[in-house]
Amino acid sequence: MDAKPEPNVNRRQFLRDGARAAALTGLGGLLGVLAGRATAKGTVWQIDPQKCVRCGNCATHCVLEQSAAKCVHAYAICGYCQLCTGYFEPEPNDLNTGAENCLCPTSAIKRTYVEDPYYEYTIDEALCIGCAKCVEGCNRFGNGSLFLQVRHDRCVNCNECAISKVCAGDAFVRVPADHPYLLKTTSHGA
Amino acid sequence: MRNRKQTITRRQFIKEGAQDAGILALGSAAFATSAAARAASAGNDVNPFAYDVGRLRKTDPKLIQYEQVGQFPSPYPEPHRIAAGPEGRFYIAAGNYVSVADRDGARVSEIALPGPARCVAVAGDGTVYAGVRDHVEVFDRKGQRTAVWESLGKRAWLSGLAVGEKEVFAADSGNRVVLRYDKSGKLVGRIGEKNKERNVPGLILPSPYLDVKLAQDGLLRVNNTGRHRVEAYTAQGDLEFFWGKPSMAIDGFCGCCNPVGLALLPDGRYVTCEKGLPRVKIYSKEGVFECVVAGPESFSENWQKCSPSDCTTGGLDAAVDAAGRIYILDVVEANVRIMAKKKEAS
Repeated sequence: MDAKPEPNVNRRQFLRDGARAAALTGLGGLLGVLAGRATAKGTVWQIDPQKCVRCGNCATHCVLEQSAAKCVHAYAICGYCQLCTGYFEPEPNDLNTGAENCLCPTSAIKRTYVEDPYYEYTIDEALCIGCAKCVEGCNRFGNGSLFLQVRHDRCVNCNECAISKVCAGDAFVRVPADHPYLLKTTSHGA
Repeated sequence: MRNRKQTITRRQFIKEGAQDAGILALGSAAFATSAAARAASAGNDVNPFAYDVGRLRKTDPKLIQYEQVGQFPSPYPEPHRIAAGPEGRFYIAAGNYVSVADRDGARVSEIALPGPARCVAVAGDGTVYAGVRDHVEVFDRKGQRTAVWESLGKRAWLSGLAVGEKEVFAADSGNRVVLRYDKSGKLVGRIGEKNKERNVPGLILPSPYLDVKLAQDGLLRVNNTGRHRVEAYTAQGDLEFFWGKPSMAIDGFCGCCNPVGLALLPDGRYVTCEKGLPRVKIYSKEGVFECVVAGPESFSENWQKCSPSDCTTGGLDAAVDAAGRIYILDVVEANVRIMAKKKEAS
């Protein structure tokens, strides 16, 4: 009877190699996780103004008491309209600053006369709750110079942004932290 | 002989497997229910900050005194202006052509242009003046090109034309001015530019829809869209009067810039066209609102075009035939609707 051939790998070698492979795999996984976290720290949440549908969820779903999403104003594309549809109710009694004529629920937009027939509109961020009511009015009938942005002096950059989970337009995106804003530069353009 | 290595019986295996499957199924169901509930809650949330203009999209039926008696498609996509000419014909600036149609929309002929046709006007003798972006081209009644006028430069954006007995007026939205030409194409005057000494406030044009019409009283009618009004000028550029007010209400002009198109009825009353809230209305010679020809509910695509992403490409234009029928050009749906007074239509 022939002698039983010696196995290529004995049990001890197998266990040793297996343990080494497992350790290397674990180390690789750990490095992957660390690399992923490093990348995540390099990005922040932002609203793509082209996707925003002005659903109102920014005002109601942020984990902060007052939302980190605020209306911002691209003055370069504003028409400085006398009848600003981002400022006035759809059917105002008159075109003046009376509260009953104003669209903003918190009076966060200031209207200042420039010269006939121009008016400048300024957002008071301390009052703005990010409801996007003015954004809808401006985009529907105006140049679209009002739009929402996540303000990073307020945003706590949650891993899973509560607004992004309910954003009706899927407009919440991660952007590089060194370019944290998606600003509009032309009418109805990004 | 029983296998020593077997630590679990078949029955135990099946029982524990069934238990695990049950727990897994329960967990999956719970997750699915929760996800569905979350999705439903996100979808069904009523926006407490909704910008509600639904009411403005419907016109009081009592105010609508016209009804549609016909419709035909624009001969080419991207129409901009429509003008009435002699022999009951209509001239439509669309694509790279000025197309000629009879009163029922049947195409009679067309004139090719070197670029997109922006505006058109037709003299009583059938001479056609067509505006491309930066200049005017002239064609005889057979469609033969007889002249190409000098370019107005890079900023020019012609958007309206009117023709009188001796003069042609071109509305240049880019330069915010109405240009006065003699019929040879010589520029002889500029109208509407800001001039304090002449008490002319200037044209405010947030979007390129400046229009010009020559009324039977000899005065030009110009839509100063940023001021939401219609202004009357002499051919020499004196501002005689104006009317109109900014308002979402039916008697005013809404949004950043309206009205975007003008036409004049045979008795001198005005037909105004608006974008944003797409509507066509009639005003008296004094500028008092009279009635609606067609309201926003008639222009569903035009309305959608202005919402929610872009309101710079919508709009309407109108022309009037000798019988007072109004031809509405919908630049979004690329068609022409023929509207007649309700009594006349019935």
